[in-house]
Amino acid sequence: MERSQLQTDVTKQVTTITTSVPSVTTKKSSRTKTFSTSQSSANQLLSPTGLASLISFIVLTCAYISGFMSRLFSVIRFESIIHEFDPWFNYRATHYMVENGFYNFLNWFDERAWYPLGRIVGGTVYPGLMVTSGVIHWLLHMINIPIHIREICVFLAPFFSGLTALATYLLTKELWSKSAGLFAAAFIAVAPGYSSRSVAGSYDNEGIAIFALMFTYFLWIKSVKTGSIFWSCFTAISYFYMVSAWGGYVFIINLIPVHAFMLIVLKRYSLRLYVSYSIFFIIGLILSMQIPFVGFQPVRTSEHMLAAGVFALIQAYGFIDYLYTKLPRANDLKQLFFGLILAVGALVFSVVVILTYTGYIAPWSGRFYSLWDTNYAKIHIPIIASVSEHQPTTWASFFFDLHLLICLFPVGAWFCIKELNDERVFIVLYAVFASYFAGVMIRLMLTLTPCVCVLAAIALSKTLDYYADADSNENDTPAVTSADDGNDTSESEEDANNVEITTRQLYDKAGKQKTSSVTTGNRHHRQQLLTATTGATATDTADDTNIIGSNIKTIVVICIAMMLMLLAVHCTWVTSNAYSSPSIVLASYNQDGSRYIIAYYWLRKNTPDRSRVMSWWDYGYQIAGMGNRTTLVDNNTWNNSHIALVGKAMSSNETEAYKIMRMLDVDYVLVIFGGVIGYSGDDINKFLWMVRIAEGEHPKDIREKDYFTENDEFRVDSAGSPILLNCLMYKLCYYRFGELQSDFRTPPGFDRTRHAEIGNKNFDLEHVEEAYTTEHWIVRIYKVKNLKNRLQAKNALRQVLRRKSIYSQKSSKSTQRKTGVILNKPQIKKGQVKAKSIKT
Amino acid sequence: MKTWTLRSFEEKCFGYRLLLFDIGCHSVVLKRIPFTFVQCPNIKLKKPSWFRKPSNMMVFATLLLSYFLVTAGIIYDIIVEPPSVGSTTDEYGHHKPVAFMAWRINGQYIMEGLAASFMFSLGGIGFILLDLTNKPSMPKLNRILMLLCSFIFILIAFFTTKIFIRIKMP
Repeated sequence: MERSQLQTDVTKQVTTITTSVPSVTTKKSSRTKTFSTSQSSANQLLSPTGLASLISFIVLTCAYISGFMSRLFSVIRFESIIHEFDPWFNYRATHYMVENGFYNFLNWFDERAWYPLGRIVGGTVYPGLMVTSGVIHWLLHMINIPIHIREICVFLAPFFSGLTALATYLLTKELWSKSAGLFAAAFIAVAPGYSSRSVAGSYDNEGIAIFALMFTYFLWIKSVKTGSIFWSCFTAISYFYMVSAWGGYVFIINLIPVHAFMLIVLKRYSLRLYVSYSIFFIIGLILSMQIPFVGFQPVRTSEHMLAAGVFALIQAYGFIDYLYTKLPRANDLKQLFFGLILAVGALVFSVVVILTYTGYIAPWSGRFYSLWDTNYAKIHIPIIASVSEHQPTTWASFFFDLHLLICLFPVGAWFCIKELNDERVFIVLYAVFASYFAGVMIRLMLTLTPCVCVLAAIALSKTLDYYADADSNENDTPAVTSADDGNDTSESEEDANNVEITTRQLYDKAGKQKTSSVTTGNRHHRQQLLTATTGATATDTADDTNIIGSNIKTIVVICIAMMLMLLAVHCTWVTSNAYSSPSIVLASYNQDGSRYIIAYYWLRKNTPDRSRVMSWWDYGYQIAGMGNRTTLVDNNTWNNSHIALVGKAMSSNETEAYKIMRMLDVDYVLVIFGGVIGYSGDDINKFLWMVRIAEGEHPKDIREKDYFTENDEFRVDSAGSPILLNCLMYKLCYYRFGELQSDFRTPPGFDRTRHAEIGNKNFDLEHVEEAYTTEHWIVRIYKVKNLKNRLQAKNALRQVLRRKSIYSQKSSKSTQRKTGVILNKPQIKKGQVKAKSIKT
Repeated sequence: MKTWTLRSFEEKCFGYRLLLFDIGCHSVVLKRIPFTFVQCPNIKLKKPSWFRKPSNMMVFATLLLSYFLVTAGIIYDIIVEPPSVGSTTDEYGHHKPVAFMAWRINGQYIMEGLAASFMFSLGGIGFILLDLTNKPSMPKLNRILMLLCSFIFILIAFFTTKIFIRIKMP
């Protein structure tokens, strides 16, 4: 907040200077005479182009800084710490890489995850994130700034979101205009849809990937516009960075071919497109295959086949187009060429289909397929559907993440469609696909946000171009009429009668610049200026009835400014409250809050080094990162059956679960329980997913409907199904919970998350024992007992003859217990001594 | 309407001949041979009359519709299948319809999604109208009406959605 205040101050000063600039740009020196005020001196000092770039520089700097600052809430409020789940693994991997070097990192086999399978980390991560922070770390150490790698990891995402603002500016500048670019940069810097994944401490792939995404798109647009090999090479390199950073690169490698294809369909094919696409595809393909995790996927899987198909098509089109130019009377053959191209398209398509069916090309993987067939994941891959960020999006999240921008989004699309050209086709396609994907998964809101920012910026800048230009109109025209003679007068009259659009084109680039200055407070200030100037010249403007009066313009601008201000407030509020809590620190109603972190610390300090901890996969990375203990499953959900086994252990009764736990060598079990403080993200609420995943692999042993009541309800109270009340997860969570009365108004054993009194209160654990429970019972850790000594069966049919023990003989006759006898113990013969003494 | 007619040998296969000819196969044999035992069919290929390039306006209308549906959370509705309007029981035991799934960002009823998304679209249309008022050739009355409309649209949309989200906010 303070930052935006400061930003306002800076831009205020700039705008005071700019208000007078447009006059200089068009009407040359004759105009400057008329301005005898102090403003004219400022005009002489600064040339308009220089001023324009100065303003864009300042605005961009402010966007960068506000983007960086608004993501620091979590650091200020809590501490400089890595958040959530995946970032912990990324941090651990980065730490490993910094300590052991890049090549060791690529060869790293992590035996502490996925026990007993292990995980080849080097081959199963996108290394871009680790390499980026490793490089920054190395650079800083080279110039003798000894900073810990953790700090770099924490602050990497805010740093890169500033860069994203710059990349978005560049992209929008290519698509529309500079002023729209400045708006876009300001929007993306604060938009909650993006800051949700890039607050300080969320050290995740997305943080740098969105920058790579926007930058690649910028370079692509640039290369399509220029058709130069230079830019398309850079596109490919930037694409390579994106591939190394995030699995979402598939979005790029599909969107760019779709763009190329649409351009062909819309008859906008050009040599520029041919050059840029061919170069991008070839270099990008080769580069992307250098990432170990990607490997041969780009030539093997369906996700990449669109790019290859379009490549083949564009070659054919290029060839036919070439023939077209070379042949005489080519115009007569238009239809033939058209038919040929269609045939080639059909051929390419059928080849891809045939190759897929014969098995040379892998079909769409489940993750991507579920984007098209939205019910697919729900039915077939519960592990994908179980993640909360893979849920479909509701209207509220759209509004929550984008606020005003969601209204401006279609307006921007409208402007782009109205004045279509090659690169605007791209942004429209981007909008269409991204909004669909964002509808399918909350998580993909992230890819929609930049596009929304770009389009909203275009809409807003186009609107304001007209409505905020009031001053340049009414200021300049009368100034000229009063001061100049002859030519200029006629010119100015022309201007006054002119259509608005042409006037705008005549006047000033700098005027546009002005409208784009970012913050809302700034615009307020502008309004004051504006009203002052228009008040003075109101009489002069009476004649142009055709154009909307300046007062109305002012009102419009004020309204927009108000809404932008509310947007800024909303963004800051959302970022600070909703997206900045690092989930390992629960901001509880108590001052201290209860923490997972204590439990992990306990694990680290109180358990043997090689002990295996079983938990649901959500907590795998955290146990590995903070607790430094071996885990069975973690957030890299590559092995479904292993997870299903853990799910089965959690959802079967204690005896069955004990068998599985013995089989997997489990030493400790960790569960998250929110029933005491009412934390809703705990394991009981996730429990149904464990059952579903287990059912997918073991349909005979686990059935989902067993865990529901007859009315298909999931209840933990006494009406709940008996199987649920006796399964391991239930027992681990509610062990001794029946003795706890947290509130006098509720019975003992009242679960505050489910709002129910638990159904199974007094039970004992047979095969596990409680080892540790944190203060608010958030984390509960149990130790798995060793096998018991065997008991002899009392009523066995065949009596085993046992050799009578010589160590302890129990006679059934005497009730009194005999003392033990030690073999070969030198015995004391008491009688002899007595006899001797008698003799002597 | 362009038709692609193949009438006689000379005209029908003109394209192929020309292609072969110009690429460099000057031999008469190659030109003639295929057509000694293959007869060209006498067909007319028409471009279907209903197929034409959609206008920008059409494209935009389609986009706006799909935008309306997506922001209404139609995909959520398909996957999760919530009721169209929720209901609660008040203290007397009467069932009362509830339009909004309160306190939850991640859940919605069908109708509330549509209502909110309608507001988004209304705001968008308001901005578009605001832009259309700049058209030079427009009677003054129309201009003022449109301006008024767009104002009302934008403000209604903005404040209604703000109220909606306040209900949803946990």
